[in-house]
Amino acid sequence: MSYLNLLKLGAPEAIVVLIALAVLTIGLTNDRARGLPGVVAAFGILIAIWTTARLPQQASLFGGMLVISPLNSLFKMICLGLAFVTVPLAVSEKSLRNPGEYLAMLLLGTLGLLLLVGSEELLMIFIGLELLGLSLYVMAAFDKTDVRSAEAGLKYYLFGSTASAFTLFGISLVYGMSGTTSLALITLKLGMGPIQPLMAVGIVMTLIGFAFKIAAAPFHLWAPDAYQGAPVPSSAFIASGSKVAAFVVLGKIVLIGFAPAHGNAGWHMMQPGWSPILAALAAFSILLGNFVALAQTNVRRLLAYSAVAHAGYTLLGLVAGGRDGFSATLFYTTIYAITLIGAFGVVGMVKRETGGDDFQNFAGLASRRPLAAGCMAIFMLSLAGLPPLAGFFGKFYLFSAAFRSGGNHGLLWLVVLALFGSFVSLYYYLSVLKVIFVDQPPAAEPGQGRTAAGQFLPLATIVILAAAILILGVLPGTLAAVITKSVP
Amino acid sequence: MTDWITRNVWLVPATPIVAALLILGFGKHARRAATGVAILGQIAALIVSTCAFVPTLHSHEFRAFENFTWFTFGEQSLRIGFVLDPLAAAMMVMITLVGLCIFVFSLGYMADDKNFSRFFAYLSFFSGAMLGVVVANSLLLLFVFWELVGLASYLLIGFWIERPSAAAAAKKAFITTRIGDMGFFLGILWLYHQSGTLLFYDGGHGCLENVALLGASSTFIALLIFCGAAGKSGQFPLHVWLPDAMEGPTPVSALIHAATMVAAGVFLVARVYPIFSAGAVNGVTSSLIVVVWIGVVTGLMAALIAVAQSDIKRILAYSTVSQLGLMMVSLGVGGVAAGIMHLLAHGFFKALLFLGAGSVIHGLHHEQDIRKMGGLRKLMPVTFATYAVGMLALSGVPFFFSGGWTKEEVLHATSHWPSSHVPYFLLLLGVVLTALYMTRQVMYVFFGSSRAGSDHHAHESPSVMTVPLIILALCAIGLSIFLTPAWPWLESYLLGHEAHIDAHLLLQPMILVSLVLVGAGIGLGFWLYRRAGEVDPLQQKVPAVYRFLENKMWIDEIYEHTILALAAFASRVSDWMDRYIWDGLVRVIGGIGQIFGALTKGADEGVINAGVDETTVGARGVGRAMSRLHSGQIQIYLGVIALGMLALFLFYAWLT
Repeated sequence: MSYLNLLKLGAPEAIVVLIALAVLTIGLTNDRARGLPGVVAAFGILIAIWTTARLPQQASLFGGMLVISPLNSLFKMICLGLAFVTVPLAVSEKSLRNPGEYLAMLLLGTLGLLLLVGSEELLMIFIGLELLGLSLYVMAAFDKTDVRSAEAGLKYYLFGSTASAFTLFGISLVYGMSGTTSLALITLKLGMGPIQPLMAVGIVMTLIGFAFKIAAAPFHLWAPDAYQGAPVPSSAFIASGSKVAAFVVLGKIVLIGFAPAHGNAGWHMMQPGWSPILAALAAFSILLGNFVALAQTNVRRLLAYSAVAHAGYTLLGLVAGGRDGFSATLFYTTIYAITLIGAFGVVGMVKRETGGDDFQNFAGLASRRPLAAGCMAIFMLSLAGLPPLAGFFGKFYLFSAAFRSGGNHGLLWLVVLALFGSFVSLYYYLSVLKVIFVDQPPAAEPGQGRTAAGQFLPLATIVILAAAILILGVLPGTLAAVITKSVP
Repeated sequence: MTDWITRNVWLVPATPIVAALLILGFGKHARRAATGVAILGQIAALIVSTCAFVPTLHSHEFRAFENFTWFTFGEQSLRIGFVLDPLAAAMMVMITLVGLCIFVFSLGYMADDKNFSRFFAYLSFFSGAMLGVVVANSLLLLFVFWELVGLASYLLIGFWIERPSAAAAAKKAFITTRIGDMGFFLGILWLYHQSGTLLFYDGGHGCLENVALLGASSTFIALLIFCGAAGKSGQFPLHVWLPDAMEGPTPVSALIHAATMVAAGVFLVARVYPIFSAGAVNGVTSSLIVVVWIGVVTGLMAALIAVAQSDIKRILAYSTVSQLGLMMVSLGVGGVAAGIMHLLAHGFFKALLFLGAGSVIHGLHHEQDIRKMGGLRKLMPVTFATYAVGMLALSGVPFFFSGGWTKEEVLHATSHWPSSHVPYFLLLLGVVLTALYMTRQVMYVFFGSSRAGSDHHAHESPSVMTVPLIILALCAIGLSIFLTPAWPWLESYLLGHEAHIDAHLLLQPMILVSLVLVGAGIGLGFWLYRRAGEVDPLQQKVPAVYRFLENKMWIDEIYEHTILALAAFASRVSDWMDRYIWDGLVRVIGGIGQIFGALTKGADEGVINAGVDETTVGARGVGRAMSRLHSGQIQIYLGVIALGMLALFLFYAWLT
């Protein structure tokens, strides 16, 4: 093992670290600088994407701690891309008083994403989770002028660290029972005989940390507060990058590591394993997320509960299992991440202009900012699963994968539930659009009209993301083919 | 030419959609350009449709399709395509022709609206989406256009967004039809799973060409698809959105409720008819029986309600629901051609009626209550004459009106249904009711003397509105030529037969039955409403029945107090649970955990309990630290992790 080789294979991670340090240094010399750290961060991310694209096809270091595979490289690039579009949102967010520091945290969080996605070994995955988590906690609490931000950060931190404790305990049990932390070897060990009770306990506890990360009910309680209280770019990053990476890793853990303990989630055919557990989480998330979202009057809280519901849909693909199911999950979570960053971009614009993100702040957005309102309509309708937007095809893949698997329509119950949930969801997404397009804004007080300066960058980002959703809706094959090709 | 058009039939839906995008690109103030582009787009679509219609005439059982791979996903590739066959061609011509009349009419009707160009953009978009439904050769592609139709209808019904009732009606329409689409989508997934393709026709490999492979699941698939059809076509119990959708501008009602959106459901059933009739014994399958009975219930119920409505557009809306029920019955009993013929004829005369109502409303400065109208016969002669044609066609007066012939065909098909004769007699009752409520409406609006001051200023509409009325009236009459039993050209065309002229078939004994029933309905209406005042004569005679019907059998109220109340309750409960209930649960479980922990102290197992204990202890400590935060519920949140974990363990243990 030569360290030169490590440097070559770990180049994207190394670049992200260097850029993070560079941005931090710029921030230290001039803590009000906005443009320069933003440009450096964006440029650095682009370089990291480029180096990721040039990585070899297959490589494995340190017994699976760093694995280069088409799937890992693809999702490293997707995570870097999500970080890239978060940069302009962060740069234009005036409430972040130390943009350099903030961007450094963003980049360190991205490093966590890269480690998480690039590893097939439980311990390294845990380190990735923690690195990501710690950056996100800081990012959530970053707005020191806002008590809600501090609250969001603290709650997210306490909840996250508790969940991590469970996961670590679970990992230690899995290690104790199988004698290894490498996913590939765990599979071999699990395949040798029936699942021991203690192993089952380990598996379930390991899953909890991920259920927390993807905000599946009942491990979602942090999400509404964090989504609502954190600075908008942080919410966007928590809802997108962190979720994508968590689904990639969760998929690899259950489908590669715990494959023999699959079980069966089919109705009347339930067998113990992780798939009925995930199915239960999915069902609960879909029901709770959608129903609670109906009662929300704050757009960010609404997005948080809808995120819970979407985590439920996305789990369907993992429950279905197989190459089809995993690809469907990955496709859906990527689409979802793009949509949510866009939606949070609009929320950020509204918040800067009106000072809040409740429903009433969105009233009259259509006449104030027709372009942003149109993009928001695309995001909401895509989340509701309306064709021909990308969200519809995501759902089509997911549900048809779930329908086909399980034998004898075993997962029909879950598909019906998900369809029901997506039907309910249309109602609250339309409520948001109704506020934007129909309601009149409350009479503006003199002097309240804030300047529209500095909105170009986020607006451009939002438009590009909305265009991506439209294009991926009309031509879903472009992304789908790349994802399926990379899934082993 | 023939080859070119069969390969490029996608141009038909594409033209109006491109027009819509162009208009949106022009911006708000380019009114002239907007109407020009919209009407040109519609004319172009009409021309292409007609070109596409021609090759279907040449050979019998003509069917051309053009499939291509849209994308590959995993090992499977999803293919979509477009199809041209008599069903699609006839629908295309009807939609574009009726659409064009409506577009022109809107020039006059919407002239004063400030969002004039946006209206034409939506109208074009709607028309394109509907044409897409018709030419799609894949159930998935059809579904995409189907949802676009729903979205367009949402935009159009809620066009006057400043009216809260319009916004509510738009949402109701969108969401109610989505209930049906939920089933439809599941049906698509099921069909895909079962047959491996969603293409209708694929040279012997399409899902409609191999229905035998579906086996027993064809019933489920058919019923699920029917859910979607019932939602769009306003079948009971999903009909509630349709009358409310009258909140949109009248041309929208004409487009949505005559020629396009509501027709989509009937069209869908006709399109996937092989799935419905798979494994039929004597032409009857369980899914078709459901279709028949839903149709009968819808048809009769809506006709009854229509008798007691006083809004000119709502009467027409319920009559649409009722006629759609009739079409469904026809499809269900095996009369596919009859059902589609009635759909086509209905498209013309119902658009005529809606536009006529629009002309009346326009002339009366937006008065819609028929009890306040009267005597318009002399003030609006063209509107009256054309409206009378529409009314007679809808009532099913035989010989001269297209509606009469097609209704005859439907009744004929129903009378031969082997399963039961009840639907036939109920439809006959529906015929009487239809004639009755249409006579009532015409008596109120056009005869007698003015009942309120409002129509002093009534005036005939400008020719931009009356010319489309005249064209549609001519179509409503002229179409009869192709419909008579003596020369059933349209039926033969749809079924792919050769049409023969046989004058002896012109007079059939059953036509007498219709003649008597329609006569009875019109006579009864004439007698009842000859001197009607502002209070409905029926209301005076049987107030209880009238009230029941006037309130639409309280179906909306029933929904409001059951399903909607339940949903609201569920949402409140979940929200409340998410906020508060965990608190109690965590305390209880924490307590149990502590007791448990105390009992098993010293024992070496206890993973679960330790977990719970540790969390609750930790949570209490954290709770103190957090007590200064204004919503210090974090300790509960943390307890929920333990609770959730415990639930998962119990679930796992229960499985083993």
